[in-house]
Amino acid sequence: MTGRKLIMTFPVTATSHLLEDYRTRGGYATLAKVLREMRPELVTKEVTASGILGHGGAAFPAGRKWGVIKLNDGQPHYLCANADEGEPGTFKDRWILENAPHLLLESMLISAFALQVRHAFVYIRGEFDLPYRRLAAAVEEAYAAGYFGEHILGTDFACDIVVYRGAGSYVCGEASALITSIEGKKGYPRNRPPRLTVRGLYQRPTVINNVETLSNVRAIVAMGGEAFRQIGTAKSPGTQLVSISGHVQRPGVYEVEYGYPLARFIYEDCGGGLNGTPIKCIVPGGISTKVLTAAEIETVTYDHASLTKAGSGVGSGGMVVIGEGTCMVRLLQVLLRFYHHESCGQCTPCREGMGWMHRIIDRIVAGEGVPEDIEQLIRISKANDGTTICGMGDAAGYATVGILAKYRDEFEYYIEHKLSRLGGRLEVPQGAVA
Amino acid sequence: MIEFFINGQPVQAEDHQTVMQAAKANGHFIPYFCWHPQLSVPGNCRICMVEVSNEGQSEGSGWLDIACNMPVSPGMRVLTDSQKVRLRRKETLQFITLNHPVDCGICDKAGECTLQDYHFEYNGSPSISRDAKVQSTKHFALSERIVLDNERCILCTRCVRFTHEVSKTHALGVQNRGDHSLIRPVEDGAFEHDPYSDNVIDICPVGALLSRPFLHKARVWYLKATPSVCPGCERGCSVNIWHRKSEWKLKALDAKQNARIDRVTPLENPAVNGPWICNKGRDLAMIFERARAEQPMQKGRPVDLLVALAGARALIQAARRPVALVSSWASNEELQTFHTTLAQRFDCFVKTDCQPGPGERIEDELLIKPDKNPNRAGACRFFPALPDDPATTFPADTDLVLVWGEGFSFAQLPATAKIIYLNSWLQPENGHADVFLPISVMTERRGHYTNFQGVVSAFEACFEKKPGVLDAEAVFAALGATP
Repeated sequence: MTGRKLIMTFPVTATSHLLEDYRTRGGYATLAKVLREMRPELVTKEVTASGILGHGGAAFPAGRKWGVIKLNDGQPHYLCANADEGEPGTFKDRWILENAPHLLLESMLISAFALQVRHAFVYIRGEFDLPYRRLAAAVEEAYAAGYFGEHILGTDFACDIVVYRGAGSYVCGEASALITSIEGKKGYPRNRPPRLTVRGLYQRPTVINNVETLSNVRAIVAMGGEAFRQIGTAKSPGTQLVSISGHVQRPGVYEVEYGYPLARFIYEDCGGGLNGTPIKCIVPGGISTKVLTAAEIETVTYDHASLTKAGSGVGSGGMVVIGEGTCMVRLLQVLLRFYHHESCGQCTPCREGMGWMHRIIDRIVAGEGVPEDIEQLIRISKANDGTTICGMGDAAGYATVGILAKYRDEFEYYIEHKLSRLGGRLEVPQGAVA
Repeated sequence: MIEFFINGQPVQAEDHQTVMQAAKANGHFIPYFCWHPQLSVPGNCRICMVEVSNEGQSEGSGWLDIACNMPVSPGMRVLTDSQKVRLRRKETLQFITLNHPVDCGICDKAGECTLQDYHFEYNGSPSISRDAKVQSTKHFALSERIVLDNERCILCTRCVRFTHEVSKTHALGVQNRGDHSLIRPVEDGAFEHDPYSDNVIDICPVGALLSRPFLHKARVWYLKATPSVCPGCERGCSVNIWHRKSEWKLKALDAKQNARIDRVTPLENPAVNGPWICNKGRDLAMIFERARAEQPMQKGRPVDLLVALAGARALIQAARRPVALVSSWASNEELQTFHTTLAQRFDCFVKTDCQPGPGERIEDELLIKPDKNPNRAGACRFFPALPDDPATTFPADTDLVLVWGEGFSFAQLPATAKIIYLNSWLQPENGHADVFLPISVMTERRGHYTNFQGVVSAFEACFEKKPGVLDAEAVFAALGATP
């Protein structure tokens, strides 16, 4: 198995997402303990001590984010769970929303207590249907049981929660675009400074954490920050929910303890390539992280330090396995079409660059590419690196540069011969050897 | 106050300022499209990238960020024109011009376009793209007054922010995403009722928003901007009146085209109007291009100017109870001359030349004021205002009324009173006066207006006077002189 577990600790049954089952698993006991025994700053101290890094993709230390919020500063604070899980290949938060919505809610209540939040929000991806229904039902259950509203569990603590559905924009998963969207405006990211923890939702200090990051708060407070830190590696404490898909034998969501060998995870726990197809490369954490070839996987362990050293990252935990025989030119076309479609159009480099790269790759696939196109793609990627308001321009650039660096020969072949060396396949070839 | 460095030179700045603001205040140039001193900071054009390093860091090791959203901090070192910065600006311009049609040859903005300027400064090379440009709406009627070219638009959103933050009509927004984004009214006709709408034409950094009256009327380099004052209301906004340069007056064009107001733009004046004016100010041509009176008359009969002046002088000498109605469009200089030459002979009152037109906005919080005359404040320093009831102003023994300027009905006067009328426009009343003298308009002379706040603004002459027309000052001098 893939190491110790913090979230996927129970068997999924027809009722395991309901409040009753959650309570029998010890649910809301931690909240009661926090409200009875702890002071807000102590909770933040535990979260800081745990060293937990953000699970949404940027891996920003959650404790440092929380630490910016000044308690008793006379203004409202807001907490927002980012459930706009839109990174292609990522569906790990969906598991929490579907199977453990109360874990998220309890963790959010603890977090709201720590950050003096009266109104908390969940911004949930518009396309999520079952996760939304499960979460909405859980919110109703929690209200009925007195976990939200005034005088929670008989204390002076009060908190309300609003579940806000997105309308299908990828960029709204970016924290500042997300709050702009909650405010009812077009989902454009905002420039920093100011940081959102200084001026965020409705111009007030706001903490926005990924669903999985927040869901870890209960465990952190229950076991203590130091104990949490013993899980995983020194620099990547805890676990990561990995959603693995693509040309893999057993796709799905796995909880992986940081430091677990990546090759063992893919080949043993997930059964390797689909129908025994050899693996060409993997996207380790959402398509915005650079691809790792099969050879590179061998020496890597699944944690931030090791993956960063290999030139990629944990990202959003959305792993995509790409089997041997897949055409990387077509793959890049799919990625760039996505980025072009999802660019919000606010700032110049991304608005123009995404469309430009998409048109170039379309032309290459149509057999009208010229050798300079490869350099042009790299040039546009670099001109997007660090020049945009949010991270989307950079992300598209990393993905492009990553693929071009490792599979340049396929692009050169395609441009020279006006057709794919691999038949333009995105699916694993039929009749692969079992 | 804190101190930091721009290009090695020490710069003083307030704590809350951005690098852009501090640089502008200290004469350091940083290019920008989307930033505007009166609007919020969207930071979307990315052209104002500068290189920043902290105290102690070596030169060239800085990072790039946008100046418009960068707070100043003590000791920071900013380079506005380093190699890194120039390269980044070049790349940004390649993005901006990627789908821009570069149809400067038929663009009204050419010659005063920031995109042209920056392209020559930072890029200057042809497009490096092999792919077709994204096509879009070429002529979208944003309102009756403004046409939008979406292909030229670089989506800086200045116009959108203007409607949100200045005119507060919230009439414009951005539709769609990515390189298909379009500036559009939030609903059909939303931009028709914004009395400040034409300001978006000025703040558009490219030729995307164009004035429909000015469309393809003139290349801006043939035009000259003469500083002037808008006479549309007592605010007295500073404006530039654009007309053909004298060296570009072409024989091929008729006299009317050579002496017309091509357009009116705001002249930034923080004390009065900031960088904005209302749409009425844009339409000064509608005021000044009405038919002009050029012929002196006596009781409707055309006479020679000297004859008319002599007739007027005789009327004044013979009068026992003369009244003068002073124009609220007169300049301070004219008022002074009238005061010193003729005013002692008359009971003087300041009259209202212009009333609000049908449907015209009377007043708002931004600029528009209820009195539609530019210099009532200046005139009222010399003379009292005309009371509402003419019976008290014109006693039965009033035997002469000098009416200066348009907009006064002679029916209010005692039937026996003689009338000397000074007017610029061809109007029926001219023929009813005992002596009619045509006078010049403000675009033909220089002078000063005092607005309702007491701020005095100067205007310059744009055009030559019509032949046979005198300035009011010259008329008063001639009438006041003893023969």
